[in-house]
Amino acid sequence: MRHVLVALVTLAALYLDFIAYESGGTWIALALLVLIGCGTYIYLSPRAEAYRYLFPGLVGFGLFVIFPLLYTVFVSLTRYSSGHLLTYERALSLFSQETFVSGNGSYNYQLLRQSDGSFLLLLQANQNPSQRFLSEPLELKPGPAATSTPPARLREIAEGGTPPGQPLELAQITREKLYLNLRDRQFRLPDGTLVGLEGLQKFASRQQLWRLNPDGSLTNLRDGSVVRPDLKQGYFVDQKGKRVGVGFRTFAGLENYIQIMADPRIQGPFFRIFVWTLLFSALSVFGGFALGMFLAVLLNWKELRFRNIYRTLLILPYAVPAVLSILIFKGLYNQEFGAVNEFLRALHLFAPDWETNPWGARAMILLVNLWLGYPYMMLVCTGMLQSVPSTIYEASALDGSNPVNDFFNLTLPLVFRPLVPMLIASFAFNFNNFTLVYLLTAGGPRMMGGGIAGETDLLVTYTFNLAFRDSGTNYGLASAIATLLFCIVGTLAWMNLRLGASKIQL
Amino acid sequence: MKPRQRFKLGKVLAHVCLISIVVLVLIPFLMVTIASLRKGQFPPSALWLNPDQLSLEHWKFVLGIPYRELVNAATGETRMIQASPSPLLWLWNSIVVSSCSSLGIILLSGSAAYAFARMPFKFRGSVLRGLLILQMFPAVLSLVAYYVLLDYIGEHFRFIGLNTISGLVAIYLAGISVNIWMIKGYFDTVPASMEESARIDGASRFQTFVRILLPISAPIFAVVFILSFIYTMSEYPVASVVLQTSDTWTLAVGANSFLYEQEKLWGRFSALAVLAGVPITVIFLLCQKFLVSGMTSGGVKE
Repeated sequence: MRHVLVALVTLAALYLDFIAYESGGTWIALALLVLIGCGTYIYLSPRAEAYRYLFPGLVGFGLFVIFPLLYTVFVSLTRYSSGHLLTYERALSLFSQETFVSGNGSYNYQLLRQSDGSFLLLLQANQNPSQRFLSEPLELKPGPAATSTPPARLREIAEGGTPPGQPLELAQITREKLYLNLRDRQFRLPDGTLVGLEGLQKFASRQQLWRLNPDGSLTNLRDGSVVRPDLKQGYFVDQKGKRVGVGFRTFAGLENYIQIMADPRIQGPFFRIFVWTLLFSALSVFGGFALGMFLAVLLNWKELRFRNIYRTLLILPYAVPAVLSILIFKGLYNQEFGAVNEFLRALHLFAPDWETNPWGARAMILLVNLWLGYPYMMLVCTGMLQSVPSTIYEASALDGSNPVNDFFNLTLPLVFRPLVPMLIASFAFNFNNFTLVYLLTAGGPRMMGGGIAGETDLLVTYTFNLAFRDSGTNYGLASAIATLLFCIVGTLAWMNLRLGASKIQL
Repeated sequence: MKPRQRFKLGKVLAHVCLISIVVLVLIPFLMVTIASLRKGQFPPSALWLNPDQLSLEHWKFVLGIPYRELVNAATGETRMIQASPSPLLWLWNSIVVSSCSSLGIILLSGSAAYAFARMPFKFRGSVLRGLLILQMFPAVLSLVAYYVLLDYIGEHFRFIGLNTISGLVAIYLAGISVNIWMIKGYFDTVPASMEESARIDGASRFQTFVRILLPISAPIFAVVFILSFIYTMSEYPVASVVLQTSDTWTLAVGANSFLYEQEKLWGRFSALAVLAGVPITVIFLLCQKFLVSGMTSGGVKE
């Protein structure tokens, strides 16, 4: 039975693997093959029994947790930013696509619109009008070509006959912006000459601008100058050290980490954001815990009526998807029209600038997080309180104690220690509470002189902005901060495990 | 008499306290409901609604029903409006994503937790701890890697690449380590003696796992399912990067798309929020008892 199942799954996986290999994914096919091998061994060998239960989970974990982690650490050691987006190979291939007008071949051209919307390109040599060349049907979309395509071949056609299709006037070509697309393409004549659009009226023969030398340098065939890649800078440079063309990704060692520590433009905002992140997490945990514990104690009071209704209503903020509540609060705290400020104004109280004042924005984030966070604490505390034996209260009541004293002297010391791991986990969660800050303030208001940094940014949103905001993306630096972040939160988790180690039997 | 009076005063104070907090909790929900019924795009701020402000346009939009909107009050010009794709599709996508990933998470973390709880193997403790620590790497910061990875996989297996729901589910499935810990914590409280006697009677390991341990542990699986469901339902950053066209969006991405920087469509957002929030909230409240016991027995336990 088991053997049949394993055989079936293996066959299906091998088929997938074959498809991947067929479509050119050598590496993905190889990786899959290794996985299939491991899987087959694990599910057939009696010695690997425990791994049968672990294998599927660990594969997914490796792919989507461990791989991204390693990838991020790797990127943090490279120079990879808006000026260095391409790999070395891609940068090199851009050079090889550059051409210049050479020789004296010059051609008139005509575009012929076909019934299915595609076009035929017809060239006629100026020197020898009887020589004509025709392209395969082209998909010409108005505007520049999205990707650079390899030169399309043209074939020579016999004298006399007219190719099918309706010829376009020059005005039509310019009005429909077809020339933009045509300009980005190159064509190859049967004898191997490259031709490209020159101006609007004609095609001219072209030649590759750069020749790759065996030592990795490139020679400019027009003026004879030589550029070579500078792996340290991530640019091609000429003899005078001037940069030529686009930058490429390159290994940078610890440069990004040093930048965090030493570059005042990064270091200043980084430390301010770090302090705010700590403050935010600590206050969120403390506030949520205090309110949650208070409510749990109240609801634990047996003589109180409607306890179940209260509990149900109080859990609501936890039950509603957080994305929705955060966006709702964004509306409520709107500085001019929001309900909160309207209410405060109606009471003739001071209406804070929740959006433009840094401390107003921070207060808003903390208040919203309190609203979102207390129900979880309340639930956990309720569970804890139920494990406290009621006899100890009877004993202290005989001694004439009051409930407040009872709470601080008896209940809290009893339930606090087992709650510590949960508090640390909550701290770590808030440390990386991306959704809250990103959706509520997006990090704003901007920090003065802090570049992309905002006053309410947490490290995680700051890093996200560094990596993904349109201007000045810097994947290398963002990955370095992400690695540091992981070290901090990982240490917290490790401490948490050490604290809880006594009660986990391994 | 005095302690009795103090007792009564305490009760009144407690009720006042609880009621005021409950009011603070409920007001935002009331405001959203009203904003969804109000004509025009107003952020949730009103607690009452004049009858002349009442309009069902946002609900029609969200439910994908075509309706006429007045474009120019002077000329009386109107235009037909119908959402495309209908926001109901986003709700459906969300439900598919959340159900598939929660189900998958249960299967993966349940079987792994079984190995950790019942079987001896090398490095058991280190693997278990390693899983938890590695999971601390925030998913948001893995986005570049997710993008590269899904783009690459998608080149060869179209059905799991970028902009597919299955690709998103695959990423969510990796979030198993906390759940492994919770389920293992529960397995540890179940005495192994029953399974051992079944083994003596000739049952295989897999049989004891499926026939004995799983039925006993149904409550913890319910808890993990609901918690994963809520988490994936609310997840925004990863979904917004993986899902690029509006026909694959989940609710979180779609809801946020109503609130652009330039034009905030509060009415539509509110209607969608109510529509999506109500069923999830009801399910959660129904399963409340389960959840409380599960969270306190699995995660934090003396």
